[in-house]
Amino acid sequence: MTPELTVLTLAALLQIVQFALYAVPANLELTPGYTMSPRDRDPSREMSERTARLGRAFDNHFQNLALFTIAVMVLAFSDQSTAFTAACAWVYLIARVLYIPAYAFGWTPARSYIWFAGFLATTLMLLAALI
Amino acid sequence: MTELTLLAAYGLLVMLTIILQALGSFRTLSIGYLMSARDEPREVGRMTNRIKRALDNSVVAMALFAPAVLLLEVQGKTDANSLLAAQVFLVARIIYLPVYALGVPAIRTLAWTAGFAATAILYFLAL
Repeated sequence: MTPELTVLTLAALLQIVQFALYAVPANLELTPGYTMSPRDRDPSREMSERTARLGRAFDNHFQNLALFTIAVMVLAFSDQSTAFTAACAWVYLIARVLYIPAYAFGWTPARSYIWFAGFLATTLMLLAALI
Repeated sequence: MTELTLLAAYGLLVMLTIILQALGSFRTLSIGYLMSARDEPREVGRMTNRIKRALDNSVVAMALFAPAVLLLEVQGKTDANSLLAAQVFLVARIIYLPVYALGVPAIRTLAWTAGFAATAILYFLAL
C-alpha cells in the first residue's frame, strides 16, 4: 500500500466523521420526524448556522475527495508514488481536517486558504501523474 | 497515452471548472463574502450558474468514469477499444463545458450523451 493510499483511507474515514458531525446536530434541530420523511417540503424548523456550515463543509469535501481519489489511484496504478506525492497527500488531509473548524467557526479568510491548500495539493498530484 | 492519463487529465478539467466557477463568483460577489462562511445564500450571474451546473454534472460523470477506468486497469483489460472510449469521453467532456457556459443547447446534450455512452462502453469492456 502506497502512503497515498493510506491517506486516502483516512480521508474517506474523515468524510464519515464529517457526516456524523453534520447529521447528529441536523437531526436534533430538524427532528427525526422531518429527516426520516421524504422531505418534500422545507423543514418547519431552521438548522442552526453552525450545523448549516458543517453541512456545506461536508458537501465540499465530497467534490474534493472525488478528485483526490483519482489522483491517488492514478499514481498508485502507474507506480508513480514519490516522497513528493506522499507529502502532497498529507497536506491534503491536514487541510481537509482544518477545513472543518475553519468553516464551523467562520475563520475568515483562513477557510479559503485552507481549501486552496488541499486543492493545490491535489492538482500537483494529478500533474505529477502526467509528467 | 493510457486510460489512466486520460483520467488524470479529466481530473484536471474538473479542477479547471472549479476555478472558472470561483472566478465567475468573484465577479458578482465580493471576495469578503466568498471568504466568509456564506451563511446567507447569494445569487451569482447566469454564466456562473451554468458553470456551477456543468461542474455538478462533471462530478457525477467523474464518479462513473473513474471506477470504469480503474476496473479495466485492475483486471489488465485495457485495449485499443477502451482507450478510444476513454478518449471520446474526455473530448466530449471538454466540449461540454464551454458549450454549457455559452448556452448552446443541442450540442451540449450530444456531448453529454457521447460521454455517457463512452462510460457505459468502458463498463461493458470491464465485464
